[in-house]
Amino acid sequence: MCANCGFPAAAGHWTEAGSVTATDRMRARYRRAQVLNTVLPAFGLAAHDDGQVPGIALSSSTGDSARATDLEQFWILAEKMTGHAIDPLDPRLLALTVAR
Amino acid sequence: MRLTVLGGYLGSGKSTWLRHQLYARTFGRVHVIVNEAAEVPVDDVLLGAAQNLTVLAGGCVCCDAREALISALRDLCDRRTRAGADPVDHIVLETSGLADPAPIVTAFLKDPILVHHIVLSEIVVAVDGMHALEQLRDAPLGRQQIEAADRLILTKSDIAPAGSLAQLIATLRRLNPGASIGAAHKGTQVPLPEVPLGTKVAVLPDSHSQEPVTPTRLQIDPAIDWTAFCVWLSALLHARGHDIVRVKGVVQTPSGRLLVQSVRRIVQSPEILPANTAGDAANDNVVVFIGRGFCHDDLQRSLEYFAGHTP
Repeated sequence: MCANCGFPAAAGHWTEAGSVTATDRMRARYRRAQVLNTVLPAFGLAAHDDGQVPGIALSSSTGDSARATDLEQFWILAEKMTGHAIDPLDPRLLALTVAR
Repeated sequence: MRLTVLGGYLGSGKSTWLRHQLYARTFGRVHVIVNEAAEVPVDDVLLGAAQNLTVLAGGCVCCDAREALISALRDLCDRRTRAGADPVDHIVLETSGLADPAPIVTAFLKDPILVHHIVLSEIVVAVDGMHALEQLRDAPLGRQQIEAADRLILTKSDIAPAGSLAQLIATLRRLNPGASIGAAHKGTQVPLPEVPLGTKVAVLPDSHSQEPVTPTRLQIDPAIDWTAFCVWLSALLHARGHDIVRVKGVVQTPSGRLLVQSVRRIVQSPEILPANTAGDAANDNVVVFIGRGFCHDDLQRSLEYFAGHTP
């Protein structure tokens, strides 16, 4: 168990494959937060990853916050905060792709 | 170790097919796990040729006997890593006729130990050439099994009426267009019967959704990085895992070519493939989505939006 975050040690999540070095992993974490923040504002949410504490922080515009160990848990928490799953094929999101 | 999940409805000919594959040594050094929902197992008798055999009886491994399956698989991993143990390269799990293969795959992919030892090879589903059409009409489970398959083996094709067999093949192609279909007679591969033009697909009762699953081939733009793809796919599977039955494909990443595959919401730990040859290159960065309720253009636009690209 991590002494900082209290998360139990777990097998790497599939989304964390693809990085060879520690630098790659750090870069992937920052990129992950960047990608999340491309999408989440439309749902009143924001992601934050400082590269130090394991996991991804999720916060809502209403002041709710939580920390997820990986992307799988992240989407579960996001669903709890918004009351519905963040669907990449949501018509409202697809409409934004045209607007952009 | 590679894992082949062998499924199929009750009496579809799973054990007969497997018995011949063991005789022909198709799987190499193999350990067979047989699951029977009934308390008194029978299939282990049929599979007497298997040197390494574990029987899990008295419960279905996709639900109430899932713990027993995990325990058996962990035991196999443990034995394999011991000095002097018989090396096993392949595990074949013959499920009970009442099992949905998807939760079984989910169970072992979720296990923190097994995920490091076992790679899913394929889901093979035996389809009873005589009775499958009737079963598909009566039991939604038969449909779930077929939808989850990578490969469908049509059994009893030698005794089934040609007309209903052609209709069954047409129906299978509609239910799971992404799966390859073969035929076998007592486990030996035989040519798949011809399907005459104009053969009608059987009308099946609605399951939870009216649409059949269809494969959608998505070419991933090389400019879209692996991280963006992961964020997008994880969100997609979370939101639509009930409709996306399978995802399979090879994606190029900084660490090499990764084989990505999922069953419903569960994604297997991506496997690093050897550097590609010219023949493989055409299939790199191509991901196939098998499911219902989405179209190619929406997937493409959505992925590009996540990656920050202007469509």
